[in-house]
Amino acid sequence: MHRSIGSRVGRVAYGTLIVLLYAFLLLPIAIVVIASFNSGNYLRFPPQGFSLRWFRHFGETASFTRSFFFSLRLAAVVTVIATGIGTAAALYVTRTAKRYREFLRVLMIAPLPVPAIITGVALLIFFYAIHVGTHGAFGLVVGHTLICLPYVFLIVSTVLANFDRTLEEAARNLGAGPWTTFRRVTLPIIKGGVISGAVFAFITSYDEFSISLLLGGVGTTPLPIQLFDYLRFSFDPTAAVAGVISIVMAMLAVLVTERLVGLESLYYGRRS
Amino acid sequence: MATIRRGDGGLALPWARLSRAAATRRQKAFLLVLPAVALLLLFFILPYLYLLYISVMTQSHNAKYITRFTLANYAQTIGDLFIWRVIFHTLRLGVITTVIALVLSYPLAYHLARASSVMKGLLMMLVLTPLLVGVVIRTYSWMILLSDTGLINSLLTSWGVQPAHLMYNDTGVTIGLVHIYIPFMVLSLAGPLQGIDPDIERAARSLGAGAWQAFWRVTWPLSLPGVVSGSVLVFVLAISSYVIPSLLGGFTVITVPLLAIRTITELFNWPLGSALTIVFFALTVVIVWLFLRLMSRAMKGAA
Amino acid sequence: MTAISLRSVVKQFGDVTAVDHLDLDLAEGELIAFLGPSGCGKTTTLRMIAGFEMPTAGQIWLGEEDVTWLSAEKRNCGMVFQNYALFPHLTVYRNIAFGLEMRRVPRNEIARRVRSVLEKVQLHGLEERYPRQLSGGQQQRTALARALVINPNVLLLDEPLANLDAKLREEMRFYIRTLQQEFGITTIYVTHDQSEALVLADRVAVMMGGMLQQIGTPEDLYRRPETAKVADFVGLVNLIPVRMKERCGAAIACESTLGPLEGRGPDGPGAEAEGWLSVRPENLHLSGTDGAAASGTDGTVNQMRGVVRERAYLGSLIDYRVEVGPALTLRIQGGAEAPYHAGDAVAVGFASADAWFVPSEEG
Ligand SMILES: Nc1ncnc2c1ncn2[C@@H]1O[C@H](COP(=O)(O)OP(=O)(O)OP(=O)(O)O)[C@@H](O)[C@H]1O
Ligand SMILES: [Mg+2]
Repeated sequence: MHRSIGSRVGRVAYGTLIVLLYAFLLLPIAIVVIASFNSGNYLRFPPQGFSLRWFRHFGETASFTRSFFFSLRLAAVVTVIATGIGTAAALYVTRTAKRYREFLRVLMIAPLPVPAIITGVALLIFFYAIHVGTHGAFGLVVGHTLICLPYVFLIVSTVLANFDRTLEEAARNLGAGPWTTFRRVTLPIIKGGVISGAVFAFITSYDEFSISLLLGGVGTTPLPIQLFDYLRFSFDPTAAVAGVISIVMAMLAVLVTERLVGLESLYYGRRS
Repeated sequence: MATIRRGDGGLALPWARLSRAAATRRQKAFLLVLPAVALLLLFFILPYLYLLYISVMTQSHNAKYITRFTLANYAQTIGDLFIWRVIFHTLRLGVITTVIALVLSYPLAYHLARASSVMKGLLMMLVLTPLLVGVVIRTYSWMILLSDTGLINSLLTSWGVQPAHLMYNDTGVTIGLVHIYIPFMVLSLAGPLQGIDPDIERAARSLGAGAWQAFWRVTWPLSLPGVVSGSVLVFVLAISSYVIPSLLGGFTVITVPLLAIRTITELFNWPLGSALTIVFFALTVVIVWLFLRLMSRAMKGAA
Repeated sequence: MTAISLRSVVKQFGDVTAVDHLDLDLAEGELIAFLGPSGCGKTTTLRMIAGFEMPTAGQIWLGEEDVTWLSAEKRNCGMVFQNYALFPHLTVYRNIAFGLEMRRVPRNEIARRVRSVLEKVQLHGLEERYPRQLSGGQQQRTALARALVINPNVLLLDEPLANLDAKLREEMRFYIRTLQQEFGITTIYVTHDQSEALVLADRVAVMMGGMLQQIGTPEDLYRRPETAKVADFVGLVNLIPVRMKERCGAAIACESTLGPLEGRGPDGPGAEAEGWLSVRPENLHLSGTDGAAASGTDGTVNQMRGVVRERAYLGSLIDYRVEVGPALTLRIQGGAEAPYHAGDAVAVGFASADAWFVPSEEG
């Protein structure tokens, strides 16, 4: 009797703790949404009423819109490059590489564990020294690709490692040449991993801060840097609008992934 | 019909031709990895080597540096009490952040690992949601909450409680860091925790261990690999964070990344900034290495 | 005409010799089962025939053509993989159509042929399902249909029934056999299940350690094993160590620790040859020690005495272990009508026609 009461109290306490922790985790996201629709200059308790003025302000501030579209374009370019070379590298490393496999694997994910801010510093100095990448978006594209490449590589490698290669043999056996086999069997099955990698790369690039801080320039300022500069001096909820845009984009990305891939397909081609 | 032929009827196969064909195939396949390797060698390895090189060049007022070997930058870094204070402060923030993140993440990860597979997907999404919003915006959200006239303080005043300074100091920075890095910790912990068969805990309970004992003697030691990898990850991320200390710390909290970037981009002192970066990097590596050694001994003891 | 010919084929993986000088000819329309313990090189041999592995030495001929160097997609071998290897992103219909699409068969022709093969494997109505929506048996038949629809020169089956439950496996055996005969297609069937091999195959090739041990009809293999290993691997067997005394044609007389024994033997080994007499458990007969009423003892010339050590009830049979001499225990399976119990003294007999001489290895 005693014990069951004790364990029930324990269970309730545990449940409450979990709920509180999730609340802590999600609180800032909720705050961003509320603040963006709040009419006041800053968020008070209780909120002061619904308004879209901060969305209007965001849309009318040229520096924000310019940065927003620049960030989108940058993320798109980086996604294409990182997904392309990352997928190709994953194919080689998991399938063909022999002697240098471990070395290549470490090289591909090396940008991940080292602090991005230091990579940014190193790149900045390097670009100054060789007189490239200090103007325009080249430096940003390179830097972002470095950061996004490991994710694509890791995700596609995982999918490839789980890929059942007898499927390719079956295709060859039925008369498909190597290229047809890749196009008709391998690619459709690893598509889920490639698309997940691409989505991850896009979001990573869109939200990237450290590299952008150092390599962004006049006219090539990604949105996070623009927001950072803005927030150093003013505090109004225009930044929250960017947050809401981020959230909407992330949800769109999840939807698109699901549409394109179908979550089930992530289980395609698993070895049984 | 004789179906079994004994003896060596086989012809020697043209092995040379075969191996040559295989070699060219492999050479062609290498083109797949070439772009990535080129990118990383040219724009990752080389810049880091260059950073190393700059750090032993001589400082100059009217050029980026003078091509003369010197260890003065390192001497200056190591000899400067202010720099040491900043380094120590950064490391302390890192440790505190890591410990708090671990304490808060463990129940979350445990709950996640024990959830049904449908719930697991949903909870995983909840854990990852904060990652989908950029770090600047999340920090801004904490500014709304923590500033002197922010949400929390306005709530406190409305209850008649004395408002507290939650921002522009270590408290605010720590809260921001912990929040940002919890998802990484949860992800690191969830894997090993999921690998622990719930029956093992039940077995421990059936042998007479209380819930706490079962946890300390069975679950915790088995989850140590996740604790270690999560801690290292969060520590490294926390000490190299830039946005949070600068926005939530105002100008009162100075960390190594802030100092290094100011030295390079505002004071244009490349050699000193490089040396500082490298000293800090080396220090981080040493700390992580010591920690890993310590933990691997602990894990051996536990196993 | 030979449909498949392996000529002294060797395959090495580093230090491991997976297949060691294999010679084998398959006649047109024949079904050969490769039987052998795990790791003996069955799959490797099959993969070499299909073109997924290149032999280290030797040649492989399909019909009149040396295909040793031909790449897999040009060999026109139908293959059914152990895990079926159905394309998870394609429906049953598209899976089966795949090989025809590769051969640029016109669309309506594809539809016709897929329909007809689906009919044959009894999968009509499941065309639009994905593999994961099929039962194990249905997946198996899809894989079979996919291999058959391209009219392959040879059909290669790698443990096609290994993933099915016992009952379904039994059904599918006959089914595969019927289908194979209907298509008249030369087939290699890899299995490590000896009863499967005996039921299905025209001939069985027993492989061990990469080498061919024996090839012959199921009856050859069961009744006239060439080595003790084969005798032991195919079915249950009692091996009684003997030395041959004399022979007259196939009939031989031997001596053993149990006294003189008579049996049959292969050509070759003559008097003084060391070896074993192999006797199947169902060919040993038990009777009471009074020696009178031994059941089915026509032609039983070999008699010995023993003590029942263990018995196990198997339903239609009783499985006895009878000690007949020092360190020699025989396994005997008999009808349940005259049960003996552990400790009973019994007489054991077998006909000379049921005992087959197996020379020891050096012979
Ligand atoms: N790709 C490979 N690399 C190295 N060794 C291999 C490879 N494939 C097979 N082998 C080795 O060759 C031997 C024969 O393997 P094989 O797969 O042909 O056996 P099997 O008769 O099919 O066995 P099972 O009944 O278990 O399927 C084994 O010792 C195996 O370890
Ligand atoms: Mg096999």
